Amino acid sequence: MGAHVFLVVLVIYFLLPLWWLIVASTKDAHGLFSGTGGALWFDKTFALFDNLGLLFTYNDGIYLRWLGNSVLYAVSGGAGATALAILAGYGFAKFAFPGRRLSLALLLGSVMVPLTALVIPTFAMLSQVGMTNTIWAVILPSLLNPFGVYLMMVYATDAIPDELLDAARVDGAGELRTFFTVALPLLRPAAVTVLLLSFVGTWNNYFLPLAVLSSNNLFPVTVGLGLWDGLANSASGTGTTSLWSLIILGSLVSIIPLIVAFLSLQRYWRGGLAVGSLK
Amino acid sequence: MKKKALIAAVGVAIVSLLAGCSSTGASSGSTSAATDKPQSQADKPSNCDNKIVYPSATRVSLWGWSPTLPVAVDAFDKAHKDVQICWTNAGAGSAEYQKLSTAIAAGKGAPDVVMLETDHLNSFLIKGALVNLSDYGADKWKSDFSAGTLKDISSNGGIYAIPDDGGPVALMYRKDIFDKYGLTPPKSWAQYAAAAAKLKSAGGPAIGDWPNDTPAFTQAMFAQAGANMFDYSIDKKTSLGVDIDNAASRKVLDYWDDLVQKGEVITTGQSSTDFVSELASGKVATFIAASWEPGHLTGAGFTRGPESPWRVAMLPQWNPGSPVQVNWGGSTYAVTTQSKVPHAAAEVALNLFGHENQQTLGAHFPQHLKAQKASWFVDAEDPFFGGQQANKEVWIPAAHGYKGQGYSPFQDYYYQQITAMLTKTTSGAETSAAGLSKLQATIVSYAKAQGFTVKVK
Amino acid sequence: MTGIGSYAVRSSAPRARATARGRSVRPKITGWLFVAPFALVFLVFLVVPLAYAFWLSLFSKGLATGTTFSGLANYVKAFSDPEFLGGLLFVVVFSVVLIPLQMLVSLAAALVLDTVTTKLARFSRLMIFVPYAIPAVIGALMWGFLYSPGFGPLAQVFALFHASAPNLLGSHDVFGALLNVVTWQWSGYYMIIIYAALQGIDSSLYEAARIDGANQWQIALRIKLPLVASALVLILVFALIGTLQFFTEPQVLAPSSNGVITPSFTPNMYAYNLAFANSQINYASAISFALGLVVFVGVYIFLFATRKKGRIV
Repeated sequence: MGAHVFLVVLVIYFLLPLWWLIVASTKDAHGLFSGTGGALWFDKTFALFDNLGLLFTYNDGIYLRWLGNSVLYAVSGGAGATALAILAGYGFAKFAFPGRRLSLALLLGSVMVPLTALVIPTFAMLSQVGMTNTIWAVILPSLLNPFGVYLMMVYATDAIPDELLDAARVDGAGELRTFFTVALPLLRPAAVTVLLLSFVGTWNNYFLPLAVLSSNNLFPVTVGLGLWDGLANSASGTGTTSLWSLIILGSLVSIIPLIVAFLSLQRYWRGGLAVGSLK
Repeated sequence: MKKKALIAAVGVAIVSLLAGCSSTGASSGSTSAATDKPQSQADKPSNCDNKIVYPSATRVSLWGWSPTLPVAVDAFDKAHKDVQICWTNAGAGSAEYQKLSTAIAAGKGAPDVVMLETDHLNSFLIKGALVNLSDYGADKWKSDFSAGTLKDISSNGGIYAIPDDGGPVALMYRKDIFDKYGLTPPKSWAQYAAAAAKLKSAGGPAIGDWPNDTPAFTQAMFAQAGANMFDYSIDKKTSLGVDIDNAASRKVLDYWDDLVQKGEVITTGQSSTDFVSELASGKVATFIAASWEPGHLTGAGFTRGPESPWRVAMLPQWNPGSPVQVNWGGSTYAVTTQSKVPHAAAEVALNLFGHENQQTLGAHFPQHLKAQKASWFVDAEDPFFGGQQANKEVWIPAAHGYKGQGYSPFQDYYYQQITAMLTKTTSGAETSAAGLSKLQATIVSYAKAQGFTVKVK
Repeated sequence: MTGIGSYAVRSSAPRARATARGRSVRPKITGWLFVAPFALVFLVFLVVPLAYAFWLSLFSKGLATGTTFSGLANYVKAFSDPEFLGGLLFVVVFSVVLIPLQMLVSLAAALVLDTVTTKLARFSRLMIFVPYAIPAVIGALMWGFLYSPGFGPLAQVFALFHASAPNLLGSHDVFGALLNVVTWQWSGYYMIIIYAALQGIDSSLYEAARIDGANQWQIALRIKLPLVASALVLILVFALIGTLQFFTEPQVLAPSSNGVITPSFTPNMYAYNLAFANSQINYASAISFALGLVVFVGVYIFLFATRKKGRIV
């Protein structure tokens, strides 16, 4: 009983902001600022459908573009980062090569680098090759996922018996063939986890795309909503459209895909998250 | 199998979405404007927020966040076969400035034309980022701007930005609240304080707001009292005159601190939704605002038309006998030195909002003097103010009374320090005298560390 | 907060070495071929920018002066700069309060979820995890709206008790307000990691304990806790690195704080502000490196301390 009360309290705490977001999404600007019913209940005007219509048509439907961009960046960045992590993790786990220990030390040290230190030099570098304000400026840097490599390495070390690899080699399989037929299937659980983690990482990314993109057409949804927030609060930016309603509904719509993805894929990632910690 | 089909479908959708968006226009053989070097296809800015009408023309990239831009850009592109604007909303105010600064530091990535507020002009001039538009024929428009506007867009006699929208400052007030408590719009700050006391004693709302986080407003209040904080000109790039801690700024700070301590004004930050909801719920009776503010509040669902409780009056004065008007915000357009097509870019900066017809393109308050004289602008009845002829009665005289201000070459830093000071003085943790003297010391030592020769008045 | 851990610093190395010894018969170059694509990305998007940033940190440039080589002067300045040190003190204090709180919430939730297997428990597990799927920027925006006394629900809630709503982003409450946002955002993620570790424990251990007369509390404290200690260390390191680099939440909430969240509120915000708002790129790079150094030393000390304490991993 006590356990259930505790859980209910936790659930209320974790869902309260979402409840507010849902309620606020149904209000027009007037309802948001001077509506009836207060912040946690519905206004007498139910404007959800008007807001939805506005959200998907405002500025020629730019919001849909932002969602599409987020999907593109997260899918390509996530898939790319996962592919690199699988290869590298396998390489680190199952081969000895010169510079291996140094590389590992570098890899593990790299997670302590503050991102702000990287943004300006990355911007300078990308602009020298004319890549700022292109999709590559977002996708290529998000291929970097040192933690994913580490995760794959830890997992591969235990999950792939050396004997199996040797047997394949004895049978005359090349290294690539051995990797694809023997190692890769065994790595799948960890691969799904790394994929999800890098997908989320890219989807949530904000400051790198903010710095390297200037065209609204290329923004991911986080940066787009940030732009609207800035416009809404800088008085001269809004014109007469209620950006607050759009920001609130836009936030709600943007988090739905990820929540759905997580909830429906939970059996794949739940075990994987513990890989780094379980011996 | 179903899953795979779905993934494939999503993939196709994404690809087609992308194919649709990067419409760089596949034409060749561009005809460049004026005397710019021909622009290669690869140099043409792409991913514009607007639709390009003439793909083969020289393309000028533009950053700006004004809500008037979509209409103005389309009108410009339709009217110009040789120059096309590729517009991007790169963020409002500091968001855009930060992007511009990064691009300047990287030596690449800045747009050809950029929207700036006049208070930030010097901050970009010192970086050598802006083109002198006098070299591109801007001088012939000189007589079309008021002296105050001209001062704000010039340095050492050169014009560095073309103004579109102005930000004359006035006193917005709630007519319903004023009527209820028997108040009339105050003409002086003494009357404003008296009205504040009257509201308080009658159990009414606060008279106004004194925020920490709106330094451009604070600065305008200092300027109205006669403080001219900075003396800077691009011909003497490394010398800076500073006069922050003076009688005028102390008078302003003391005045507001007194109202705050008596509980007659609120201190809500103005870059939050909180302030908007306090305005909406009648927690404040007046709001010192610039001419673009009504557009902002309309976006928050404020009533327009006869039902609107808001009216506007001239800004209260320290000395009603010799009134001083101030400006807050407003937009100008400048050409960056990174532009490879400066002639075409100058063409855009000079003509984007036309001249006499500025307001037809949506400017809240056109800076062009002739545009301010069109009768339908002068006599317009503003539905936000319940049909009051706000332009004629308030905004135009407020704009004409503005004499210009001096800005620092590191305005963002200065603004941050104003906010830092106000968080201490408004909360009573520090006296206004101490706050201002510290502010001046901070600015002087910062300027010196940045290599300026500082002259303290 | 970028919660990607380096718990590995210590734990993986010995094992990996053992594996490497076993596989040394392979041609030396093959391993590199597998690692090469990642190494290229690592080089281009981490090592090179980092080296460039370090290079930048060795120079000084004022707005009105040219660029001059100044060696380590920027670092000397950083470690005597009250704004940097103030921000550093904040994140250290914040970590000291936040991390135990977060651990407590996520550990308690995980332990309860491990023992209760009702539908409600399964539902709760997912719901507690949901905030992790919400981008930090959006989470912070949402809490910013909720904190607003006029716009959010606070005024209404406090009116019930005839009190006026506090300004949660005012100077007295901002610490707690930020604490809440971060706890909300990350506890679910940590809870899942601990939960997964708990699920990995052989349940026959509990049977044995029960036969010995142990109750649920004793099982939790004596058996479960020690067995998930490695997961806890992993989380601690995640949280420590993330919190010392605290940035997104205060940055997003700053505009609603009426100046209370200053541009130098945390070291990372300070670096960002120096670089982007004040064009002090050289000094900003030095601040970033100085912060990186502090994080490195902090994590190293932490790992050293936990290793000594009875080798929980």
